[in-house]
Amino acid sequence: MDFIIDGLLQAIQLLLHGDGETYSAVSATLRVSTYSMAASLLLGIPLGFLLGHNDFLWKKHVRTIVDTLMSLPTVLVGLLVYAFLTSRGPLGEYGLLFTLEGIAIGQAILALPIVIALTAAAVESMDEKLRVTLVSLGASRRQVLYSTLWEARYGILAASMNAFGRVLTEVGIAMMVGGNIKWHTRTITTAIALETNKGEFATGVALGIVLMAIAFIVNFSFSFLRNRS
Amino acid sequence: MTMNAPVYHLTGVKKFYNSRPAVDIEKLSIPQSSITGLVGPNGSGKSTLLNMLAFIDRPSEGIILFKGQKAEPYSDTVRFRVSLLAQEPYLLKRSVYENIAYGLKLRGGDSSRYSKQVNEALSLVGLSSREFSNRPWYGLSGGEAQRVALAARLVLKPEVLILDEPTASVDADSAGRIMDCALMASKEWGTTLIIASHDWKWLNEICGKVIQMFKGKIIGSGIEGILFGPWIPGKSGEYHEKALADGQIVKVPKPPSPEASAVIPQNLIVLDLHPPALKPGEHFLKGVIAQLSLEPYAQTVMISIRAGGQTFTLRIPQEKMREPVFFPGQIVYITYPLSAVTWY
Repeated sequence: MDFIIDGLLQAIQLLLHGDGETYSAVSATLRVSTYSMAASLLLGIPLGFLLGHNDFLWKKHVRTIVDTLMSLPTVLVGLLVYAFLTSRGPLGEYGLLFTLEGIAIGQAILALPIVIALTAAAVESMDEKLRVTLVSLGASRRQVLYSTLWEARYGILAASMNAFGRVLTEVGIAMMVGGNIKWHTRTITTAIALETNKGEFATGVALGIVLMAIAFIVNFSFSFLRNRS
Repeated sequence: MTMNAPVYHLTGVKKFYNSRPAVDIEKLSIPQSSITGLVGPNGSGKSTLLNMLAFIDRPSEGIILFKGQKAEPYSDTVRFRVSLLAQEPYLLKRSVYENIAYGLKLRGGDSSRYSKQVNEALSLVGLSSREFSNRPWYGLSGGEAQRVALAARLVLKPEVLILDEPTASVDADSAGRIMDCALMASKEWGTTLIIASHDWKWLNEICGKVIQMFKGKIIGSGIEGILFGPWIPGKSGEYHEKALADGQIVKVPKPPSPEASAVIPQNLIVLDLHPPALKPGEHFLKGVIAQLSLEPYAQTVMISIRAGGQTFTLRIPQEKMREPVFFPGQIVYITYPLSAVTWY
C-alpha cells in the first residue's frame, strides 16, 4: 500500500516541478487527440447527418455496419494503419509511421464510427414536427438542414464526448503506429504502460492524474457550454 | 392570374401512404381572405390535406394552384406566404424570443425591429414580453407553448394561416386567446384562415364554409350524418339494414361492401313533428333534438338530432325559426330518400 501512496506523492512532485518527460507525453497526447478529433468530427458529423436524415436502400445495413465499427479493437486499427503506413505499405512513401500524424490517422478511424453512429441517432431522434415547424416558418432546404443540425447539437456533443473519451484513453494505436518513442511519439497512455512495466509507479500515476484532469476539463467545459446555451 | 383568383385551387389531389389513399380530392377552391373550416373524424385526412395546403408535403397526384400559380414545397411562390400551426406545438430548443424571431430572421429585413415585432406578437397572444421573452423552450406550459408557436406565425403576418386543431390540447384560456388571434389576423390583415377543429360549433360560427372530410374525401359542407357498417341484407332483399342502439332499423340501398360507410346528405333530410306518411323509396327515423345552434354567417340554424346513438344534422333558414316549434329535447322524425345515400 505504501508504494501506491509514495507513488502519488512523487507524482505530485513531478507535476509541480515540470518534469520534461511527463510534459512531453502530455503535449503529444493533446496534439494527437486534437488532430484525430478534428478529422473525425469534420467527416463524421456530415456523414452522420446524411445517414440519420435520409432514407435510402440498405440504410439499415449501413447502420448495422457503422454500429459494429463502434467497437473496433484498437489493436486491430493499429495493425491495419501500421500495414498501410509501413515503408512496404500503400502509404509508406509519406513517412507517417512513428509520427504523431500517423497515430492521429488511426485514432480518427477509431473515433469516426462513434461520431457517425451517434450523430445519426441524434438526428433520427429529432421529431418530424421539427421539419413541419421549420418549413411552415419559411425555411429553405438548406436552412432546414442547418437548423436540424443545431437542434441536434446536444446529441452531437454527446457523440463528440464519447469519441474523445475513446481517443484519449486508447493505447493500441499509439503503441503500434507511434512506436512509443521518448520525446517524440510517447503519449500519456503508452507512457503509463511503459513506466508501469519499468516499476516507475510515480510517473505512471502522475500521467494518470493528468489524463483524468484533461478528461475532466474537457467534459466540464462542454457541460458549461451546454448549460449556457 | 385574375383579381378574383382563389388563393387555393386543387384539382385531382391525392396523397398515398403505403399505397393507401389518405386524401382524394377531385376539386376544391378556397377564396382569398376567407375563413374555411375543416371537420371530420380522426384519420379522415384533415392533417394530410393541411400539410399539403401549407406546402410541407407534396401530393402524390394532382395539382395545387396557389393564387393561380402552380406551387410546391420550398418554392418562392409560397415560402413566406403560408404558415401552419400544428396541434402539438414544436418549439425550437431556444428561448421564446429566438423562437418567435426565427421566421423574421429567415426573411431578412431590418434586424433592429425584431425586438419590437416579437414583443407585439407576444402581446397579441396575451404573454408578457418581460416575463416570457428570455424563457427557455422547456419553461412553458402546454398552453403557453402553443401561444408562443402562434406568436411565431403571427409575427410573420402570413397571407394564409393554417391551424390544425389549434385548441385541442390547451386550457380554455389559451384556446380562447388562440381563437381571438386567428380572427384578428383575418380581420386586420385579410389573412386567409383554414382551420381544422372538432369544435364544429365554433367553426360554424366563424367560417364562411365548413368542409367535412371522411376517408380522405370531401363529403359535404357541414356535419353530415355518417352511418358506419356492417350492413346486412333486409328481409325483402331489396334494401340493406342495420339496427341502431335503440332498436330502430336504418335502411339503405345495397352497399358496395358490408363494411362501407353511408352518408345521408343533410339537404335531403326532411324534419317532421309527427310520424310522416312515407312515399315509396323513403325511410324515417325517430329522434330527439339534442342541440340548436345559430350560424351567423349563413343565417341558418343548425339542428342536431340524436337517433339511436347516431347524430344527424340539418340546417333551417333563420327566419323559419321564429316560431318555437323546435327545442332541445323535442321528439322529431327525420325522413330521407334511400336513393340519396352515398357510400364511402
